[in-house]
Amino acid sequence: MDLTGEYRIAAPREVVWAALNDAEVLKACIPGCTELVKTSDTTMEAKVALKIGPVKAKFSGAVELQDIEAPQSYTIQGEGNGGVAGFAKGSADVLLTEDGEETILAFSSHAKVGGKLAQIGSRLINSTAKKLANKFFDSFHAQFNDEVPPD
Amino acid sequence: MTSINMNVNGKAVSGDVPDETLLSEFLREHLRLTGTHIGCDTSQCGACVVHIDGKAVKSCSTLAVSLEGAEVTTIEGLANGDLHPMQVAFNDNHGLQCGFCTPGMIMSGVDMVKRYKAEGKDLTSDAIRAELEGNICRCTGYHNIVKSIEDAAAKM
Amino acid sequence: MSSGIGASVKRKEDKRFTTGKGKYTDDVRNDNQAYAAFVRSPHAHARVKGIDTSAAMAMDGVIDVLNGQQLTGDGIGNIICGWAITSKDGSPMNMGAWSALATEKVRYVGDAVAVVIAETQALARIAAEAVDVDYEELPVAASVLTSMKDGAPQIHENAPGNQIYDWELGDEAAADAGLASATHITSLDLTNNRLSPNPMEPRSAVAKYDDAEDHYTLYTTSQNPHVARLVLSAFYNVAPEHKLRVIAPDVGGGFGAKIYIYPEEITCLWASMKTNRSVKWTSDRSEAFITDAHGRDHVTSAKMGFDDAGKIVGFKVDTIANIGAYMSLFSSSVPTYLYAPLLSGQYNIQNIHCNVRTYYTNTVPVDAYRGAGRPEATYLVERMMETAAREMGMDPAELRRRNFIQEFPHQTPVLMQYDAGDFPKILEMAQETADVAGFPARRAEAEARGKLRGIGYSTFIEACGLAPSKAAGSLGAGVGLWESAEVRVNPVGSIEILTGSHSHGQGHETTFAQVVADRFGVPIENVQIVHGDTDKVQFGMGTYGSRSGPVGMSAVAKALDKVEAKVRKIAAHALEASEDDIVIEGGEVKVAGTDKSMAWHEVGLAAYIAHNLPEGMEPGLKESAFFDPVNFSFPSGAFICEVEVDPDTGTTEIVQFTSADDFGTIINPMIVEGQVHGGVTQGIGQALLEQVVYDEDGQLLNGSYMDYTMPRAADVPSFHVQHHETPSPNNPLGVKGCGEAGAIGSPPAVINAITDAIGTNDLAMPATPQAVWRAIQAGAKSVAAE
Repeated sequence: MDLTGEYRIAAPREVVWAALNDAEVLKACIPGCTELVKTSDTTMEAKVALKIGPVKAKFSGAVELQDIEAPQSYTIQGEGNGGVAGFAKGSADVLLTEDGEETILAFSSHAKVGGKLAQIGSRLINSTAKKLANKFFDSFHAQFNDEVPPD
Repeated sequence: MTSINMNVNGKAVSGDVPDETLLSEFLREHLRLTGTHIGCDTSQCGACVVHIDGKAVKSCSTLAVSLEGAEVTTIEGLANGDLHPMQVAFNDNHGLQCGFCTPGMIMSGVDMVKRYKAEGKDLTSDAIRAELEGNICRCTGYHNIVKSIEDAAAKM
Repeated sequence: MSSGIGASVKRKEDKRFTTGKGKYTDDVRNDNQAYAAFVRSPHAHARVKGIDTSAAMAMDGVIDVLNGQQLTGDGIGNIICGWAITSKDGSPMNMGAWSALATEKVRYVGDAVAVVIAETQALARIAAEAVDVDYEELPVAASVLTSMKDGAPQIHENAPGNQIYDWELGDEAAADAGLASATHITSLDLTNNRLSPNPMEPRSAVAKYDDAEDHYTLYTTSQNPHVARLVLSAFYNVAPEHKLRVIAPDVGGGFGAKIYIYPEEITCLWASMKTNRSVKWTSDRSEAFITDAHGRDHVTSAKMGFDDAGKIVGFKVDTIANIGAYMSLFSSSVPTYLYAPLLSGQYNIQNIHCNVRTYYTNTVPVDAYRGAGRPEATYLVERMMETAAREMGMDPAELRRRNFIQEFPHQTPVLMQYDAGDFPKILEMAQETADVAGFPARRAEAEARGKLRGIGYSTFIEACGLAPSKAAGSLGAGVGLWESAEVRVNPVGSIEILTGSHSHGQGHETTFAQVVADRFGVPIENVQIVHGDTDKVQFGMGTYGSRSGPVGMSAVAKALDKVEAKVRKIAAHALEASEDDIVIEGGEVKVAGTDKSMAWHEVGLAAYIAHNLPEGMEPGLKESAFFDPVNFSFPSGAFICEVEVDPDTGTTEIVQFTSADDFGTIINPMIVEGQVHGGVTQGIGQALLEQVVYDEDGQLLNGSYMDYTMPRAADVPSFHVQHHETPSPNNPLGVKGCGEAGAIGSPPAVINAITDAIGTNDLAMPATPQAVWRAIQAGAKSVAAE
């Protein structure tokens, strides 16, 4: 499934870009993320707990930043293995555009699931992915606005 | 592990089971009452229906440890000696073929007849079909199951 | 009440099922029982780069973790397809290797790569999750239309372009000439939707190795335990045949899915030897969706030509069939010899040609599901007839009548010689019962309520009673398709029938006993049917293709002939009469025209005491027979379906379903009607509700009862079922077989009714409310555009 969205963030582009590259910020924003460790400048290892419909799984996997055009855009790509629950993978192209003192964050993401997640939970994937993407960007947005991210 | 005590088919039973043990598993594996069947893993097929305190329940979605002190009746304990009218009706009306869904069908059938009688409602064939939403049969096409339950309802 | 042939005897086997005492495979628990859980691929196509079992092996209660390298290393053979199909260019089919546990590549989601053996089922499953398999994903071909394209991912090395065979039947030039002479041609493009058989009992295997005897016992959910034993020993080298006992106890439905010998049974047997434990595996429903062979999945393009009088002058068919990731046991025969020879339907068609191409895809293997090939043929022919009638402005029943075969035997141009039937008669019966004459009034009444009412026909034929061994062999079958029986008359006169047929819902314990009761007049309670155990029963071929009646019971009848002959000799000797004067009836053996007689049990006793037998006669009263039919049997039927469609929601209600079937001689009408009810319901499931859906990555999207729509009680009506008997001349009982008719005949009747209601011919199965609503909207648009 494919998702796109746009957020206006009340912070300069450099600040937003730095946050997008900060493992602590990402960990706080990725829904269900219990662990995110940088293994190099562009790679991280993550543990994420997710529930899609009746399937609940802990994913462990790798996150990689690609096509980095600092401070403007990158592609964040993740791939997780949830054991018998199957696998999930996804990527998001993130583009930051300056608008005065503010920044417009636009994303376009693509996600795939396989194994039992697809077999039992496929009809819930779209809504779940949408919810997760919104949660991530809402939380990210809140980092700059001192808001408590909505649940 | 949790220690549980319940009454199954008129007999006091007890056991130490892991907390996640389902009633279906407790019946089949601990008590070896294998008439309760498992036909799916999403609680749709109804082959595992038993009675708990007189009500039809899917034993595959009930935790054994939640049934402390409960009265459980399985297909093996439905009748005392003679066959229950529902069991007779399934034989009389050819309401079963492979027999796998049959215990659940019979337990659901008994429950619906009792409920409708208690509420003074008429158990029509349409009502039986609607009530069987949670019991799947792949063999009979339901025609004779509906007939069996109608027949038993008249005799219960 | 009589308990012989033609009586609706209540089933003898019911008591154990209605009291929860049936004994199914998962109910078996041996001493030293261990449990297996399979590690399955979540990818549709991938290279297996490594399997790390260390974490699983370290867990308490894990006995062993075994993989495909070990399995093939121990000499366990690849899984085979037992029917060789030759392409039209003379080349053999391209069968790819299938190991019970994948070694280098996985080819569908669910392909097993390893197995964990542990002390409990829960432990085995937890440990299976800890097995870490390193996959390198490969591009996927999840549908036949993708896998047949140039440049599609190569699934098996020895099948270039993923093609298994390109096969034909019939005379193409004649079919072309016929079409060229036609005054009207109807063209149709159809998809026969992919289904999951879903017997309610999931598959299960309990394997036990006895190291002292070097002997194996396998309890398994099989429709044909002897075939399983043969294949497990001769092809998979699991154990020599005499060291392997296969028991198929009570089996909870089959519908084809339990014919095949799957990776799990092979693995459990092998693992029981490796671990010296009894190893049990029981599928859960999720696993069943990704391991039980699926059915159907054809894409077809066809043309049928008619002359001025509405007579069919040519029929040309081009079919593409999906075989899945591997060739299952009978997969190759389903879209070929079980399909194309049925394309003549009930009609006198001189010119037929059918081309079939089959391809691998990254999906679960596809094989026979109730009807197997014949539903696909029937759906095509009957949609064609109805569509043609509409296009030519004819009554669809009249078009069929004009083309009915009237004389038997009838030789079609596609191999078959039909045995017997009366097609106009069964159509007339169905029309009368369905009150077709009153349909216009019912339609008008429905219209007044805002509903669209439609009526649809299906007049169909099957080839059942699989099959004459010689014919099957000449067409590529790897086995003979006879059946065996042994009749044992005990010294007290009770009778045991050992049959190679297997009952998994069909009621053989009752119907086979009726055949015996009918012959000797003994009480049906005194007859016991023994089946499903290779240690008890002589080799037999099992139950599928509606063969237990025409072939299995015929073997019993043949063995009864031999018993009867010996009984006559014994009685004639004891009663000092001529054999020709001996009459056996009502449980007595009498001398005609005298008061001399022996009770049935006295003859049994005499045979075993052997004090007074004819000179040279061996003691005992036990005979066996193998019956190999001279031809298939050809049950036929006329189905009429009436529906009401809600134009606002697209919801279809089947308001009336009528069948008139010709199954030849009927042994037990109650059981036969039950078979029709169940078969029709599966056909209605195909027409309205069911379809296996894969996404383009080969991920199964509806692998549970939350998403795969099984017919529920409220989805189907009560049925009007009736019979007309024209006995088959090809077996001693005149039986034709009734197990598949409902599933074969009903889908086109349902779709013909809906398309009649909504006024368009363009509607695919399953006709879900969404699909019907869209078809109504599209129809409205095309009318507006005209």
